[in-house]
Amino acid sequence: MFLEIKDLSVKIENKNILKSLNLNINKGEVHAIMGPNGSGKSTLANVLAGKEDYEILNGRINFKDNDLFDLNIEERAQEGMFLAFQYPVEIPGVNITPFLHSAINSKRKRMNEEEIDNLSFAKLLKSKASDLGINIDMLKRSVNTGFSGGEKKRYEILQMSILNPDLAILDETDSGLDIDALKIVTDGVNKLKTKDNSFLIITHYQKLLDYIKPDYVHVMVNGSIVKSGGSEIAAEIEKDGFQKFQ
Amino acid sequence: MNIQDNYQKNKKNIFFSENKDIQTHRKKLINIFENDGFNKKNNESLKNINLKNFIDFKYRYLISEETSVINNNQENSYSIVSVNGQCSSFKDDKIEITKILDEDYNDFSKNNTIENNDHFVNLNSLFLNSGFKIVIKKNNNIKIKISNIITDDNLTIFQKNNYICEEGSSLNLIEEYENKNNSTSNILNVIKLEKNSQLNHFLIQDNSPNHNLIITSHSSCKKDSTYTQKVYNFSEGYVRNFHYSELIEANSEADLQGIFFLKDNNTSNNKTFVKHLAEDCKSNQVYKGILNDRSKATYFSNTYVDQVAQKTEGYQLSKGILLSDNASYFSKPELKIYADDVKCSHGSTIGPIDENAIFYLRSRGMSKIAATKILISSFINEELSSIDNAQMSEIIQKKLVRYLSKIK
Repeated sequence: MFLEIKDLSVKIENKNILKSLNLNINKGEVHAIMGPNGSGKSTLANVLAGKEDYEILNGRINFKDNDLFDLNIEERAQEGMFLAFQYPVEIPGVNITPFLHSAINSKRKRMNEEEIDNLSFAKLLKSKASDLGINIDMLKRSVNTGFSGGEKKRYEILQMSILNPDLAILDETDSGLDIDALKIVTDGVNKLKTKDNSFLIITHYQKLLDYIKPDYVHVMVNGSIVKSGGSEIAAEIEKDGFQKFQ
Repeated sequence: MNIQDNYQKNKKNIFFSENKDIQTHRKKLINIFENDGFNKKNNESLKNINLKNFIDFKYRYLISEETSVINNNQENSYSIVSVNGQCSSFKDDKIEITKILDEDYNDFSKNNTIENNDHFVNLNSLFLNSGFKIVIKKNNNIKIKISNIITDDNLTIFQKNNYICEEGSSLNLIEEYENKNNSTSNILNVIKLEKNSQLNHFLIQDNSPNHNLIITSHSSCKKDSTYTQKVYNFSEGYVRNFHYSELIEANSEADLQGIFFLKDNNTSNNKTFVKHLAEDCKSNQVYKGILNDRSKATYFSNTYVDQVAQKTEGYQLSKGILLSDNASYFSKPELKIYADDVKCSHGSTIGPIDENAIFYLRSRGMSKIAATKILISSFINEELSSIDNAQMSEIIQKKLVRYLSKIK
């Protein structure tokens, strides 16, 4: 199993958020999690990425034969996990290009691969940015600083395409995107899809899933997955909302 | 420390002690100390300072005559090694360096309106034992680098320097303070900018733990002149940076900036004060601090706008990053505005490093320590990237790397 979440219960500040959650993802699969506000979707994304604000009450997570809880935030990233943030953080003064260069090299180092030099990295970045319709001038700016909502999401996908993760978690990447930006972002994701990597897509709406076709759709309510199936579930939610799952 | 006894005992080693006017002024100063003692109440110059360091210090006033070195390296570029606060005389058609004179002392003490309540400036006047005067002659464009060296332990340098930028002149001044002796320097720079002159003043402070540096400056700007001061404090010993500026004629500017990097049990006290006394003047006061371990800092910023100083623009900003729960930074911005057509602002933000930013960077594979370091560098990026002097930039970067390497 590529990612196995078994009986996971998590709380933050005395509030139980995830309750005995189970989820299995195989290599090459695209899974979507849909759920109403406050159902724990972003908590799941943050717990997978290693955010330290949460208390793990029970359960385990295996990722590529590693116990995920043995890995800290950066080790998870270096092992091939990537979280595209719902609200990417603005970091004034940290330039995009050296930051991404250092990120890719930290991953290569862990994998015992040769580090990528400045020139090769610049070429790679330029070509990936061009694929996503990102202006080269934007790469001279600070991380997410002064970006519009759409630019931030596009930049998340640029980072994803550079780091080429084994498991990408997209936390409401569609929120705040107009239809053109949504198409660019989802095209970027589709280009990355291979039989060797997996995606976990978190969203409220079916719209995103028109562009990125999931193999499985899960409904998450009140901290647990209450229903799993194929794309038909997304259509069901689009028609009737989440009410009937609660 | 009994000031009166101390002064009487060391009188012969103190500058100008035979001058009647100066004697009268010093008697007044002694009376202030006798009446007030070192009462910390309502006196910013004494707030958060460990007076024990200064009271118990073994003062040595007598400075042996060491020879300073002045080199005219390239055209318009001078390097000076000032030894124990002293500098030998030098003169060419662009600059003139002399010892400080009685008249310079009197000029400052009579016109000084800001620092009356500053006990360390008063101590400087009372125990003055060193100093020099540099005049940049009319319409010249000069670079000067001064390395301030102290040769012995237990020396106490009370130094007053005068800088005069004559009309139309421009001075790029780098001052380095890197002392390892168990000594104290109390330095007052009195800076005068004549019409249409410019001074870019960099102060690099990097003393060892047993050296105390108390540095005060008083700049006054005439019409169309600009004084820019950038302080970089990497010292492991105590540093007090108090910098006062008066904009006395129209269209003049003062920009007082500082960054301090503290760790261990170190303390730094900082103050900037700009008085707008004429119309159409601008000022900027920006201090940033990074505090680790049990370090402490204070920053008082003040803008005073006189009623004649219409069209003033005055900005203040204070920012601090606390890398440890035991570090503390006290910041107090003040504005006193008596004119009605002004643009003024102040702001202060102090807190721990942004955990969300750390998480974001780590989620891309960067270690926690690397993420912390990159965020510290980004915090001061604007100030560092604005240094337009390559040599300065390199010096500061090296010291920053050294500071960051100690962060665990």
